[in-house]
Parts: sequence; structure tokens; C-alpha cells
Amino acid sequence: MSPSRAIENRISLASGAGERTSPLGLITATVLHVLVIGATLFTFAHKLDLDIQDSPVVPVDLVTIGQKTNLKAMVKEQPKAPPKEEPQPAPPTPQPMVTPPDTQAEAAPDQAPSEPLIAKPEPAPTPKLKPVDQPKPEAKKKQFDINNIMALLNKQAPAAASAPNAKKGAHNVKAFGAQNAMTADIQDALRSQIAQCWSPPVGAPHAEDLIVDFDLLLNQDGSVARPPQLVGDSASNAAGNPYTRAAAEAARRAIFECAPYKLPADRYDQWREINPFHFDPRQMMGQ
Amino acid sequence: MKKIAVAILALAALAFAGPASAQLRVDVTQGNIQPLPIAIPDFIGDPQGAQIAGVVRADLDRSGLFRPLDPKSFVDQVKDINTVPNFANWRVINAQALVTGQVQAQPDGRLRLDFRLWDVASGSQMVGLQYYTTPDNWRRIAHMVSDAIYQRITGEKGYFDTRIVFIAESGPATNRKKRLAVMDEDGANPKFLTSGSYMVLTPRFNPTAQMIAYMSYIGNKPRVYLFDMESGRQEMLGNFPNMTFSPRFSPDGNKVVMSLESGGNSDIYVMDLRTRSVARLTSDPAIDDAPCYSPDGTQIAFESDRGGSQQIYVMNADGSNPHRISFGSGRNGTPVWSPRGDLIAFTKQDGGTFHVGVMRPDGSGERILTDGWHDEGPTWAPNGRVMMFTRDGRGGAASSIWSVDVTGRNERRVTTPGSASDPAWSPLIQ
Repeated sequence: MSPSRAIENRISLASGAGERTSPLGLITATVLHVLVIGATLFTFAHKLDLDIQDSPVVPVDLVTIGQKTNLKAMVKEQPKAPPKEEPQPAPPTPQPMVTPPDTQAEAAPDQAPSEPLIAKPEPAPTPKLKPVDQPKPEAKKKQFDINNIMALLNKQAPAAASAPNAKKGAHNVKAFGAQNAMTADIQDALRSQIAQCWSPPVGAPHAEDLIVDFDLLLNQDGSVARPPQLVGDSASNAAGNPYTRAAAEAARRAIFECAPYKLPADRYDQWREINPFHFDPRQMMGQ
Repeated sequence: MKKIAVAILALAALAFAGPASAQLRVDVTQGNIQPLPIAIPDFIGDPQGAQIAGVVRADLDRSGLFRPLDPKSFVDQVKDINTVPNFANWRVINAQALVTGQVQAQPDGRLRLDFRLWDVASGSQMVGLQYYTTPDNWRRIAHMVSDAIYQRITGEKGYFDTRIVFIAESGPATNRKKRLAVMDEDGANPKFLTSGSYMVLTPRFNPTAQMIAYMSYIGNKPRVYLFDMESGRQEMLGNFPNMTFSPRFSPDGNKVVMSLESGGNSDIYVMDLRTRSVARLTSDPAIDDAPCYSPDGTQIAFESDRGGSQQIYVMNADGSNPHRISFGSGRNGTPVWSPRGDLIAFTKQDGGTFHVGVMRPDGSGERILTDGWHDEGPTWAPNGRVMMFTRDGRGGAASSIWSVDVTGRNERRVTTPGSASDPAWSPLIQ
């Protein structure tokens, strides 16, 4: 900085050169101004009319959000029982220590001849497993069989997740829209609760890498009924992109941390399954 | 025909989608950026385990992305790192991640370190690694553990096992000594590389962190020099008749691009370190300065006042197609291309203050990251996530080095021995 500033101080910057004016220029400018104003008055007004006609008419129905509206159209036939078929949690076991194949940071220091003192991270001998204490009863709901987080991330949501409703083919598009209206308060409640816990890795170079979708099953008391599953493209993206994997894990942590969710128990069938639970931090990154 | 079929299919899908509407869609777009609460108990085994865990806690805390929990709050102890922790005991203190580690002295005198990173909510292991080193190298191994944790949780490489070269300043403002110095990223192991009998400015690491290019006033002749970290030897780069300054290595380390002053003007030149041949890249009558390669080596960002005020330009590495990219307010200079290529950091001078900001390589998305009175001269961490810069106080107050996250968060002072300026971040040590 200093040398460049020194040079810069010696050199005066070129300031804007004065502009020449002439009577001819003034007349030309006046004529042009009149033309432009005239064109605006006559042409733009006409254009504005056209724009208004082009706008699509959107009918808006005001709907009172809450329990009073449309509830019975959707609610009654929902099965009461939360999923019982969830896999029994198994006690996790430590995995052997390995050097992840995709990391060079750990291995790199050992490759340079100038640093001979650091040995390569080596696979540890398979650790001996000692009896693991049984999890406390209250922790059981959260104690899931997910020793390998990548295996979890790679899982697709089981198609059976939506099966309880599959028989009821009578609902039409109208009912679908009505459901949106009557569940908006639940969506808001979930959004505001998860927002307290969700801290996505917003420093990533590409914000779109951080968008993830989960399928989440909840118990009636608002606790997590089954580990949230990545759905759609998120599963494969998380497997191949470390930023997406970090984003998925941050969202998963938020889902667990914020549970149990405070939601109206009498409308459990509306929020039993959140899918997609869509996490998109782009607004937080100003993108 | 195809469109009609698609439309029919879509309608059919919609009709069947109705019943499945008990699946509630929830879009979450707002969160609460908080550092991750992480429990890092002292590593068991050798007494150095406590020191190593302390360095890991300090590293992760400094990043602003983690909040290492106070070990006094722990309700459980790690007795064996090869058994699964009782996660319930770590959930009650709200730890979201847990690090267990063990340090053992080996018969050959080396230290063996094993550690595991656990996801507390799911009770699953995220990373398990093992290192060997000599006992005097324990800080580096601690930084490598920090890097591994950082990488696994954020998705990007860490930067703790790195060094900072900077200008250590001492003495009164009228006769300030400026010495070349180097230290670890966390401020440990500071070392002076030059004596202070001559002024030194703008040090830059080469890609292997074994060589430093800088400008020095040896014999009152301001020229670019190279310093070999291993031998301590320094040499003048080229034999130019006039002042050379603002050196920076190419990404492959084979070239140094710099400014050469001539008759009150300066232009950008590049020297091939193998052949020592020199090529001129700009020949504008304006001042061209502060060149910096893109990480792929195909382009060079630089500052120039060819448009009337100092602004940032980008040209091809052979000097062709120079074009202005900064159009924001004030004067913009010292462009530094992010190692991951997505941003260019710069210094903005506007209304009498200097700030550090970032913009995309096409000039869009300008953001100012720092709010000091005089912040300048950014340098990137090797992962392109964090930068350091010089902060000068008002009225000639001592300079200091600060760091800030690329998101503008976590601005904090970097520990240096005395006042310091002009930091340059090394790549990950190899």
C-alpha cells in the first residue's frame, strides 16, 4: 500500500475536463427535451394502459385460518396411531478410526519431506467394544440406529410414509387448497420454532448447495418419531457435496434440538408427517 | 400431443396428490446463526492431552462457528475413547458435538493421538483419526485435529494448521522499525525473520509456504526480495533500475507478478522465477499496482487509476483484455482473489475511512465486511472463508491485525507480539 500511495500522491488525478457549450447545442437540447416530454405524455400513457390490460386477474378469497374452516374435509379419516413400525433403535457402536478418503488435510502434512516428524494418520486397530450403558428411558426416542451418518443421508424416504392416506382418492384440487389454508398456522408455528435452532453453514460459495429437503415423522407429543430422512435430490447431493452434507447435518441437528414441537395435538393428523421439510438459507445469505 | 399427455398426467398426479396432502410441506428460510455448541473434554492418557484439547478448543472458538463448552459444565467424563459415550449426559449440557481423544507416549518417544468426533443428537461417529508426532510438535497436531473437526462439520477445509507472515512494528512513530515476522495462525511461535535495520513491506507466501516475496528498503533501494524460510537466505528479485513493489506469486509458484515504478508511473510486470525472464503486462500511462492472480492462474486483478480514480481491474494473465470491475462509491484497491475463486477481497477508501470488502470477480455483489476507521490489505485463509487485514488506529495509533469471516461476522483481533501490519496467510502447511 504505502509505495503505491506515495506514487499516487505525486500524481494528480485527471479531473473531469470542462465541457464545451454552444448556442446550437442549447437549441438542440431544448428541441430534444420537448420531443421527449411529448413522447412521454402520449406514448407512455398508452403503453401503461396496455400493461394494465396484460395483467392477469387473480381472484383472492379471504380465508380465516384456523380450526373453524374446512377442518372436517380432511381430518376425520386420518389414522390415529403414530407409526409403530419404526425400527427398533440399536445401541450405536464406535467405528474404527480411519482416514477419510476424501480428506487431504489430515494426510497432507505427512507427504512433504520437510515435515518428517508427523506420521500419516493410520487406521486404528478396531476398537474393542465394551458393554454400553442402556440409554435412559427418556432418551430412547432420540436414540436411533444411525451409526453411519452417510448411510442415513443416502436413504430415500420410504414410499410408505404417505401410505396411510393412499386409499382416500375422493379429495380434489379444491380440498388440497383448503388444506393449505387451514394448515398455514401449523406451518408458521413449525417455521418459527425451527428458526430458533437452525444455523446453516452460510459461508459456502454456492448458496444453492445448502438447500435440503427432509421427510420428518412426528409423534403426537411433538417429538421426533423417526430420524428425518433426506428426500428428493438432497440425498444424492449430500453424498457428493460436502457443503450439502454439512447443510443436511445442520438441518438435522436443528430438527432434533427443537423437538418436541409445540403444535395443536387435536390436529395431529395434519402435522404427523412433514414432507418436504424444506430448508433454504439463500435469503439469509442475501442471495 | 406430447404436451397433452403431460398435462393429463399432471392432472392425474394432482388428483392423487390430494389424499397424500396429510404430508405437510414446510419451507424454512430463516434461521438463527449460532456457533455450534461442542464439548471437547481434555484428551485422556498423556498429560499433554489437556494442552492439546485446549488448543483445539481455542482454534474452534476463534473460528466463530463453534462454541466450545466450558469443561466445568461437563457432567460426564471420558474414560475410554473406544467405548460409545453416554450421549444423554452430553445432551443435558446442550452439546451438539462431542470430541473424545487420547494421547499416548510411544516406546520410540513419539506421541500417538487418537480422536473421535461424535454427533450427539444421533449418537453417531462423524470422524475418527489417528496421528503420530514428536512431543515438541504437539501444537501442530492439535491444529490438525481442529482442521479435521472444522472440515467435517462445515464442509470446507480448515485453516488452523497455517502460518501468518506479517510486519512487526516497534519503536516510536517517527522511527518505527518494521521487521518481517512469522507466527502460527493462532499467534503462537512468533519469530522475526529480519533484523529491523531496514524497512520491510508487503510480504506474500508462495504456494508451499517455503518462500516469501516482499518489498524491502535495503540500502535505501526499494526492491522486491525473496526470503527462503528454510535457509533464511534473501535475494533481490531481478535487477531493475527503479523501485519494484507489490509482489505476489502465481498459483503454481513459478512466477512473481509485481509493480515497477518508472518516472512517477508504475506498470505491472511478471518474472518467471526459473528463467528470470520478465514480461510487461500493462503499459497504460496511469498507475497500475497491486496485481493478484486468480486461483486458476488465468487472470490477474489489479488496481489502476486509468479511469480517473483508483479502481479494480481484471485482465488476462498475459495482460490482454483489461476491464474495470469496481463501480461502487469511493476508491477501491488492493484486490486479492479468494483461493476458492468466488470472490475478490479489496480495500475501499470512501469518505476518509478505509474498509475491507468483497465482490464477485465480475464486480457484482459488493459487500463491506469491516467497520473500523482504517482497515486495509486483506489476505485470505486457504479455504477462502476467513480473511485477515490491517487495522490502523486514529491519530497514528499502533497497527494491529484483525480477522473477519467472509459473512462479515466474527470480527476479532489477532494475537501478535506488539503492533503488527500487512498480514499474509499461508496455505495449509505441508
